[in-house]
Amino acid sequence: MIDEQVFRQFQEIGRDLYVAALVSSHGGNLSMRFGDRVVIKRRGAMLGRLKEGDLIDTGLEKADSGVLLASTELVVHRAIYRATPALAIVHAHPRTAIALSLSRDEIVPIDNEGSYLLHKVPVVAAEFASGSAEMVERLPAALQEYKIAMLRGHGCFAIGQTLDEAFQWVSCLEESCQIILAAKSIDEPFLEYRKMSEDYKTW
Amino acid sequence: MQGWMGKTLEVDLSSGEIAFQQLDSNLARLFLGGRGLGARLLWDMVGPEVDPLSPDNVLIFCTGPLTATAFQTSNRFSVTTKSPLTGTVLDSNSGGSWGMRLKRSGLDALVIKGRADQPVYLEITPEGASLKDASHLWGKTVPETTLELGQGPGRNVLCIGPAGENLVRIADIMNDGTRALGRGGVGAVMGSKNLKAVVVEGEEKVGFADRQRFRFVRYEASKQLTASPLTSQALPQFGTAGVLNLVNIIGALPTRNFQQAQFERAEDISGEAIAESLLVRKSACWACPIACTRITKTAHREGEGPEFESVWALGADCGIGDLEAITEASYLCGDLGLDTMSTGATIACAMELAERGIIDCDLRFGRADLLEGLIRAIAYRKGIGDELAEGSRRFAEMHGAGEYSMSVKGLEMPAYDPRGMQGQGLLYATSNRGACHMRGNMLGPEVLGLPKLVHRLQVQGKAGMVVLHQDAAAAIDSLVLCKFANMAVAEEYFARAVTAVTGVSYSTGDLIRVGERVWNLERLYNLREGFTRADDTLPRRLLEEPVPDGPSKGWVSHLPEMLDEYYRFRGWDENGVPTQRKLEELGLQDLAA
Repeated sequence: MIDEQVFRQFQEIGRDLYVAALVSSHGGNLSMRFGDRVVIKRRGAMLGRLKEGDLIDTGLEKADSGVLLASTELVVHRAIYRATPALAIVHAHPRTAIALSLSRDEIVPIDNEGSYLLHKVPVVAAEFASGSAEMVERLPAALQEYKIAMLRGHGCFAIGQTLDEAFQWVSCLEESCQIILAAKSIDEPFLEYRKMSEDYKTW
Repeated sequence: MQGWMGKTLEVDLSSGEIAFQQLDSNLARLFLGGRGLGARLLWDMVGPEVDPLSPDNVLIFCTGPLTATAFQTSNRFSVTTKSPLTGTVLDSNSGGSWGMRLKRSGLDALVIKGRADQPVYLEITPEGASLKDASHLWGKTVPETTLELGQGPGRNVLCIGPAGENLVRIADIMNDGTRALGRGGVGAVMGSKNLKAVVVEGEEKVGFADRQRFRFVRYEASKQLTASPLTSQALPQFGTAGVLNLVNIIGALPTRNFQQAQFERAEDISGEAIAESLLVRKSACWACPIACTRITKTAHREGEGPEFESVWALGADCGIGDLEAITEASYLCGDLGLDTMSTGATIACAMELAERGIIDCDLRFGRADLLEGLIRAIAYRKGIGDELAEGSRRFAEMHGAGEYSMSVKGLEMPAYDPRGMQGQGLLYATSNRGACHMRGNMLGPEVLGLPKLVHRLQVQGKAGMVVLHQDAAAAIDSLVLCKFANMAVAEEYFARAVTAVTGVSYSTGDLIRVGERVWNLERLYNLREGFTRADDTLPRRLLEEPVPDGPSKGWVSHLPEMLDEYYRFRGWDENGVPTQRKLEELGLQDLAA
């Protein structure tokens, strides 16, 4: 049974993701791990309007009838939980970050907050970027090292101890990407304001 | 590999043999150092047939790959042994400078075996290691011994006080005069070996695989420590006792042996009160920018402390609100080599037994005037002190009242009531060395909002958080760093630091996995000792007696609901035994019984 406090966390973060335009009406998903169980958004449910019955409780290792209803990305979520210390996962479609992921192998924030919190975000690629074996292989590996990773052209997967921690990394990444975009349009040389700026690429 | 010194020292006190050996690099890579390496070495050396106070037990002092690198809080070291208090695997760690010096003496680990015929101390200098007569030191207090053995620049002293000599099961080992390897009776093990002290000198440098990367990680960590109000304001201003008022306000400060969860005189003994009335100056361990240590002064003397747990155990838990008396009691515990937490909690247990008429003496909650005499009686095993020296569980059981020992696996519980912090209760119940707030602390998520606030009374989902915090703590204890640094600096920084220093690549996930390996190894050790699921529990009071009033009123611990989820999360069976698959994942399959 899903605790009321846990359901409310899904509702609140789902709503915030939609309101912040980090997902489309039916896009993205959320999950949490409880012991050997995973609670994940139902396939087709709207993150911005989660209601009773929109969360599916299924096994971390073994499939059960819950998978009939679970999000397309369940297989990726399971793989991430098995490979990393994650207790919660937020998958979203941050638009500017997706745009930058098309031409970069990593996103290195240039703003203070993004540098401070993220340092660097890797971009991984998969030919079929939805619930695929390639994603299962590559995303968990990236998330062992980083708390958020971009899947080229698709979106991001962020991990945390709670949904709101993972949401913070998503929100921060998109803000940093918007700043990168804005700085490019201003197109003026940067004045140094961080010590060891070049080292952020080594994070 | 850089970071490790590549050398260990084994001293057999029975034969007098002293042998330097090469560090097993595979073990170092898998278990890092500190608590992890100690547990792995203990597994091979001390089996279930060994009495903790016999010559066959060992003391394993370990540094870690980050020790002495000048990474923030890289001063720490640990000692591992079989506990004479709990019978479990035990490690205890400490700050100051001794650990840094042990590493600079060129050692990753120091193993002490056997028992000397006469009191001795061990001296390690660049010229070598030697055992020296300590007859003239036996009976002396920690400050006296530390002074006499020449603690000073380049020379650091670790010793026991009279409590350790007298095999008090709640005796600690002290280093640098005032820092404690506090819990589980490590001092009694050292006393049982007739080893009074270990003195170290050395200036060897730690190698770095990538110094520039290390500098960057350390710089980034310094930003986090500066930005966090916890590490840059609260701890430096108020010390660890800064958290006391906060825990009291939410109704989770155990009072009068956990009969209540709020103390009416909390403000009088808080970190703020210490800062206002007793604080002379703050102090810091080597390479620590936080400086939580308090140098204080009472009407009678100057000393170090008291820490939060000491203030609580000798204060609220005993119903005592006299800050001067608590502080002097804390000083005295340090002088005599006693764990302040177990000492206070055992006295609190005795106070409850006396108030209930189970024992016949004048002990009562609030009797600050009795503290000094009781502490001396415990350290020298005089009168009722001889019974209290056995720790609260043995003491309470002697009087047919075991349920009033507020302990898990025999280790007295720390200063957070599991009824007001549900995750903390699960943490205590499952902790491998007995009830402990330093094997992962739910204070972060349940009270301080680190990394994010989770309702303290929420039950579902707490198991996963406890597992993660336990594994992270085991990794940090193996590096060996201070948990307070981790309140501002996340594990990803530590993973990058150890990678930069050693040249061995550890992702954040890898580092947590080291912690998980250590946790499971410790679990295997306790299972081999005969511990079972039945030992993963809390005192009856916390499971059945609701908090009588305050913000946690009506709550008991929901441990049974959380424990099954915890075992499933860990990949253990319903009896709490790691599955073969889990052991293979962790590379521990060869150790399973």
